[in-house]
Amino acid sequence: MKVPRPTIPTIDDLKRGLREIRWNLDIFVFIQLVVVLTIFILFLIVPLFRITFNAFIYGGSLSLRWFVEVFTDPYYFSPRIVFTETFPYIAVEGISGSLINVIKRPTDTGVETIILLVGYDLGVIPNTVLVAVMTTVFSTIIGFVFAFIFARYKFPGSEALRIILLAPLLSTPFVGAIGLKKMLTSEGVINTLFYDILGIMPFKIEPSGLMAVVLVQTLIFYPIIFLNAYTAIISIDPTMEEQAENLGASGFHLFRTVTLPLSLPGVEAGALLVFILSLEDLGTPIVFTGTNAEKVLTYQIFRRMFTPTGYISGEATALAMILLAMSIIIFLAIRKYVSLRRYAMLTKGGIWRPRTRKLSLKVSLLVYVVAFFTLFLALQPHIGVVLLAFAGEWGPTLLPGYFTLENFYTLFRDAAVFRSITNSLTYSITAMGLIIVLGVSAAYLVSRVKIPGIEALDALVTLPIAIPGIVIATGFFLLFLKTPLDPIINGAPLLIISYTVRKFPFTVRAVFAGFEQVDKALEESAINLGANRARVFFTIALPLVVLNILAGSMLSFIYSMSEVSTGIVIGDANHDTAPMTWKMYDILFKGLEGGLFVPAAMGFVLMTLQFIMIVGSNLLLRKRATALIGV
Amino acid sequence: MVKIKAVDIVKRFGKFTALRGISVDIRDGEFFTFLGPSGCGKTTFLRCIAGFEMVDQGRIYFDDEDITYLPAYKRNTGMVFQNYALWPHMTVYDNIAYGLKVRKVPKEEIDKKVKEVLKLVHLEGMEKRTPHQLSGGQQQRVALARALVINPRVLLLDEPLSNLDAKLRLEMRAELKRLQKQLGITTIYVTHDQEEAMSISDRMAVMDVGVIKQVGTPEEIYLRPKDPFVADFIGQGTFIHGQVLEEEDGRLVVELESGLGKVEAIPSDPTNKPRIGERVLIAIRPESFEVGVKDKLNLFDVSIYHVSFLGDRKRIQAEANGVKFIVELEPTVNVEIGKRIRISVPPKSTLAIRMG
Ligand SMILES: Nc1ncnc2c1ncn2[C@@H]1O[C@H](COP(=O)(O)OP(=O)(O)O)[C@@H](O)[C@H]1O
Ligand SMILES: [Mg+2]
Repeated sequence: MKVPRPTIPTIDDLKRGLREIRWNLDIFVFIQLVVVLTIFILFLIVPLFRITFNAFIYGGSLSLRWFVEVFTDPYYFSPRIVFTETFPYIAVEGISGSLINVIKRPTDTGVETIILLVGYDLGVIPNTVLVAVMTTVFSTIIGFVFAFIFARYKFPGSEALRIILLAPLLSTPFVGAIGLKKMLTSEGVINTLFYDILGIMPFKIEPSGLMAVVLVQTLIFYPIIFLNAYTAIISIDPTMEEQAENLGASGFHLFRTVTLPLSLPGVEAGALLVFILSLEDLGTPIVFTGTNAEKVLTYQIFRRMFTPTGYISGEATALAMILLAMSIIIFLAIRKYVSLRRYAMLTKGGIWRPRTRKLSLKVSLLVYVVAFFTLFLALQPHIGVVLLAFAGEWGPTLLPGYFTLENFYTLFRDAAVFRSITNSLTYSITAMGLIIVLGVSAAYLVSRVKIPGIEALDALVTLPIAIPGIVIATGFFLLFLKTPLDPIINGAPLLIISYTVRKFPFTVRAVFAGFEQVDKALEESAINLGANRARVFFTIALPLVVLNILAGSMLSFIYSMSEVSTGIVIGDANHDTAPMTWKMYDILFKGLEGGLFVPAAMGFVLMTLQFIMIVGSNLLLRKRATALIGV
Repeated sequence: MVKIKAVDIVKRFGKFTALRGISVDIRDGEFFTFLGPSGCGKTTFLRCIAGFEMVDQGRIYFDDEDITYLPAYKRNTGMVFQNYALWPHMTVYDNIAYGLKVRKVPKEEIDKKVKEVLKLVHLEGMEKRTPHQLSGGQQQRVALARALVINPRVLLLDEPLSNLDAKLRLEMRAELKRLQKQLGITTIYVTHDQEEAMSISDRMAVMDVGVIKQVGTPEEIYLRPKDPFVADFIGQGTFIHGQVLEEEDGRLVVELESGLGKVEAIPSDPTNKPRIGERVLIAIRPESFEVGVKDKLNLFDVSIYHVSFLGDRKRIQAEANGVKFIVELEPTVNVEIGKRIRISVPPKSTLAIRMG
C-alpha cells in the first residue's frame, strides 16, 4: 500500500481550517465542548499526568529508579533467567507455587482428599497479566460456546436459559466473591453437597489464591463475551451462510470459514474488555487475600495507599503506571475494533431472521446439563449473597441455621450503615445528573459536529473504561490533598466526580447509539426553518433520544452505586462521607459487628437495584441494549 | 423571492471533489431543476445553497446579498427533504408551526397561517395527526407546508417525489408546479428522473460528476444538446460517431464511422460549431426518423430486431453495421422483426455534437 506523503499545510489550508471550525462551532456547541473537555482534562488527564510525574521522580529529580526497583524486586517480578552447566544451558528460576496441591486430611470417618487449585506465582506483575489472560481465555470459551448454541439452536426453554445465563452481570462488590468463597471452600456448599452428602466427587476441590481469582472473574465476566458473540452471530446475514452451504460447505467447515470469522470482531472486542476488567478488578483479590491472591497490581497499589495520611509512595505510583500502561494498550486495541465496526452492531442486531435449527433430544439434554452446571457455578455468588442476606447464622452446613429479616433491619437501624447508603444514593444520583448533562453533550458532539479532532473527544470520554479505578484514586489523592477537594476533609466531591467520570461511558454509549439512529435530516430541517443549534438540540435532538438517555443513565447510576476502587480508597479517608461499598469492605475486613450478614444484605439491595435497572434499560432499548454492556 | 447566483462553487469531501466549479444564475420566481445521474453532486449543491455544507471555493448570492458563509439557520430557505424529515414526536400542527414559533409569531397568527397552508396543500383538518398516521403523499404535503409556511426566499426540493408510487408521483408533480406558480416562489428542484425534469421545469441544468454540462429550457436541452453526455442522458436516441468533411450554409457534411456513409447535419450548438476535420457525435432522436422518403439524403438501411407498440407510436430497435438505431414511427407502419427497412432523417434533425 502506498502511504500518502504528508503535505505541509499552506496558509490557505489553515485559513480554510479556521473557517471550517467557525462554520461548525456555534456558541452552543462550543460551550458544550469546553465544559466536557474541562471536566475530563481536570479530573482524568491531569491526575494521570500527576501519577506519571510522581513515578518518574526519585529524591527530587527525574529518574527511572522506581521502575528499576519494581522490576528487580522478585516480589514484583520473580522469574529469573539463569545459565546452567548442562543442556539447555539456560533455565528460568523463581517460579513458585503449583497448579494443584493435594492435601490429605484426617476426618472423623477416615481421610479426605482435598485438591487445592493454587496456580503459579511469578510475582505481582506477571501474575496480573497471567490472571487476566486466563480469565479472558476461559470467559471467551464459555461465552462463545454458549452464544453459538443459543444463537443457532432452538430447544425447549432456550429463551429462558439464555436470559438466566446473563444473570452474573449483576455484580455485587465483595459479597459476590465472599458468597462464592463460602460456597467453594472445603466446607462450602458444593463440596458438602457433592462430596459429603451425595458422594459423587471422589475428592474435594477448593480453588484458592490466584486460581480462585481467575475462577470468580471468569464466572463474572463470561456474560460479556456471551452478549457480544450472541449479537454478532445473530447479526450475520443468513444469506452468507446459506451461500456457503450452497457452495457445499457444511458443519464444522461452515463454522470455521464463515460463522467464526464473521463473529470474530464482536468476540475480540468483548475479550479485550474482559481483559481490562480483569486487570482492574480489586474486589476479588481483596476477598481471596491470604494465599497468593494479593499478589496482583490492583491490590498492591491499594495496600500502599490505603493510609489515612494520604501519603503515596513512588513505588505505588510506578505500579499504577504499569497497570495503566497495560490497560491503555488494550483499550487502544478495542478502539481499533470498535471504530472498524463503527457501532454497526447497534443497528444491525436482529434485522435478520436468524437461522436457528432444532436440537435433537440427546443434544438438548447435553446442553441442559452443561448450561445448568455453568449456571450453578456462575450463580454461586448470587445464591451465596441471597442466602447470607437472609441468614441468621451459618455454620459448616449446607444451608444457614435459620432465616431472618434482621439483617435488613440493621441497614436502617445502624446509623453508620444507613449513612453510607444515603451517601451512596446522594453521590450516585448527583453523578447521574452530571453524567446526563455532560454525556448527552459529548455524544451529541461526537455524533454531529464535524470538526477536526472530534474523534479524540470520543476517545477521551470512553477512556475511563480503560483506567483502573485504583489508578484514578491514586491520581486524585496525589492531586487534591490539601485543596478544597481534599478527600480527608470531605470525600463527597471527589466521589461524585469519580463516579461521573468512571461511569460516563455507559451513558455516552447509549446516547451516541441513539443519535446515530436519528436521521440527521430531522435536525437539519429544523435548522432550515430558522432554529439555532441550541433550539434544535433541545426541541428535536433530545426528545428523540430520551429513551437512550434514560437507559444509559440508569446503568451509570447503578454502576456508581456498586463502584469499588475509588469508593473504598476515598471512603477510608473520611468515614463519615464514605459510600456503601466502603462500609461493606469495612464490616467485612475489619472484623466489625455484623460479619458477613449485613454486607450481604447491602449486596442484596444492590443486586435488586441492578436487576431493576438492567431489565428496565433493556426494555427501553430492546435489542439495542446489548451495546451498553458489550463493547 | 429572490434570484440566486452561484459562482464557481467547489466542494470537497476529503480528497474527493463533489462539485468542481458550479456556476449558475437562477431567475426570480423560476422553477429551476438540477438533473443528473445519482452521485453527480445534486444534493451536495442543494445543501450548499441551504447552508448545510460549507463551500470550499466560490460564492453564493441571494439577490445581491453574499450568503456564502451565512449560517444555515439564518438563510430563510425552505427545504423539503427526500425522506420528508418530519419530526415523529410532534403533530402535523407542531411540525408546521415550528418555523413560525422560532420566528416568535404570535399564537393566533400561527393558528391562522397553519390553517391556510394546510388548505393550500389540501390537508385541512389533519392538524392533530402524527406523521406516522399519514400516508406517503400526505407526509410529503406536510413537509411542503412546513417549508412554505415560513415564506422562504427560495424553495429547495431534493427528489421530493422519489418515494411516492408512480400514480401519486404524477399527481404531486402537477400539484407542485401549480403551487409554485401560484406562490411565485423561486424553486430549485433536484432529480435524476429526466422525464420529471422536462415536464416540470422552467429551466434546468444537466449535471455530470461535479460539473454542469448544459443549462437551458427543457426544449433546448432535448433538441439542442451541447454535449454527448447531455444528448445521451436526456431522452433516447441513435448515436453515431463521424468526421466533419465540409461546411456549407450552416450545414455540415459528416462521414460516419462504421461505413454508414455520409450525412448532412446541423451543429447542435450554433455557438460552438464543429470545425472541418473534427470528430463529432451524430445524435438523432427516435421520432425524427421517417420511412418511405424519396430524398437521397441521410438514408439508412437497417434490420429490425425488436418492435414495441406504444399506443400512439411504434418503437423499433434496429441495427446496421453494428450501430444500434432507435426509431419511432407511426403505429400504422408495417414492420416486422427480421425485416430490413430504409429510414431517413431530415438534416435539421441530425445533430452534430462536438466531442467533450
Ligand atoms: N458527507 C459526505 N462525505 C463524503 N462524501 C460525500 C458526502 N456527501 C456526498 N458525498 C459524495 O459526493 C458525491 C455526490 O453526492 P450527492 O450530492 O449526494 O449526489 P446526488 O444527490 O447527485 O446523487 C457522491 O459521490 C457522494 O458519495
Ligand atoms: Mg441526492
